Amino acid sequence: MKHTWRWIIGLLVLGFLIALAIIPGGKEMEFEVAAEFEREVLITLPTIGPFDLSVTKTVAYLWVALAVIVVLTIVVARSLKVQPGRFQYAMETIYELARDGIVGSVMKSGKKQWFPFIGGVFVFILVNNLIGLLPLPFGEHHQPAFYAATANLNVTLMLALFTFAFTHYAGVRKNGVVHYMKAWAPPGAPPVLKQMIWFIHLISEFFRLISLSVRLFANMVAGHAILAVFFAMALIFQSYLVGLALQGASVLIYMFELFVAFIQAFIFAILSAVYIGGALDQDH
Amino acid sequence: MDAEAAKELGKLLGAGLSMGLGAVGPGVGLGIMIGKALESIARQPEVAGDVRTNMFIGIGVTEAVALYAFVVALILIFVA
Repeated sequence: MKHTWRWIIGLLVLGFLIALAIIPGGKEMEFEVAAEFEREVLITLPTIGPFDLSVTKTVAYLWVALAVIVVLTIVVARSLKVQPGRFQYAMETIYELARDGIVGSVMKSGKKQWFPFIGGVFVFILVNNLIGLLPLPFGEHHQPAFYAATANLNVTLMLALFTFAFTHYAGVRKNGVVHYMKAWAPPGAPPVLKQMIWFIHLISEFFRLISLSVRLFANMVAGHAILAVFFAMALIFQSYLVGLALQGASVLIYMFELFVAFIQAFIFAILSAVYIGGALDQDH
Repeated sequence: MDAEAAKELGKLLGAGLSMGLGAVGPGVGLGIMIGKALESIARQPEVAGDVRTNMFIGIGVTEAVALYAFVVALILIFVA
């Protein structure tokens, strides 16, 4: 009896799939992956010198992320309880991860001083990445569309510049300019080699800037491009069967993108902590 | 084949090759690194937290190499 039911259900599913394969798809549509990353101007404002003050899609997304962070933190700070509820527990987990998991585990000194910056960067990038996975009405003709502010090199380069500036500010303030710069080369090395190592270190400091910003930017762009391809491939294949399979696969990709959004925020924050901690406690 | 088509072919071929070959090295590196990290966690479960943190730092640094290849591919297709 049990087996008959299995056979019937199996045949029904098979028939459904065959029907999907036979039914022709909807009308053909054009699809362009690159369109997602175009910066449309929402409000046109005058240009002052080299700065274009127009409000683009990216700026709107940054404002949305800012509003989300402000509202979340105000709500959780207004209703702090000794016995935390689910929401407060989630916020406390993020705070503890930033304090103990990122700052506490890689920095030796200056934990208290640099926690606000690193924790702030972590939460800001995390919220920005997660907002990128929600469809918001900033697309063409105000259609809901995917976009993330961190999928824009200007935003990530600015964040990396903050880390770059704070790293050298922290190092110079704690160790003094001469001592800080001297420690870039190992003291035991012979003179010519020492200068070369110092120069290589100088170049690597600037490459940190590039690697920090390009890592976050390329991860978000690649993730969104893959998501867009999976969402829209059904339009190209013109088949409900392919569409069904691709929608199933896109759910998996979406969950992986949630993981990537978190991991990239974590890596940006932890590398900032490593750089600032390395400038504070120079071990060679 | 005219010059325009040859240019387009070179662009697309270069983009595909840069992404494909650029993913080989980081893939091998990530495999080795995560394998070693899991090995050390299995050997000494009490340091799992430290190992995991350092593993994520390493993942970030290694993965960036593949993403440079991705950026080069994007530049080849859309900018060059």
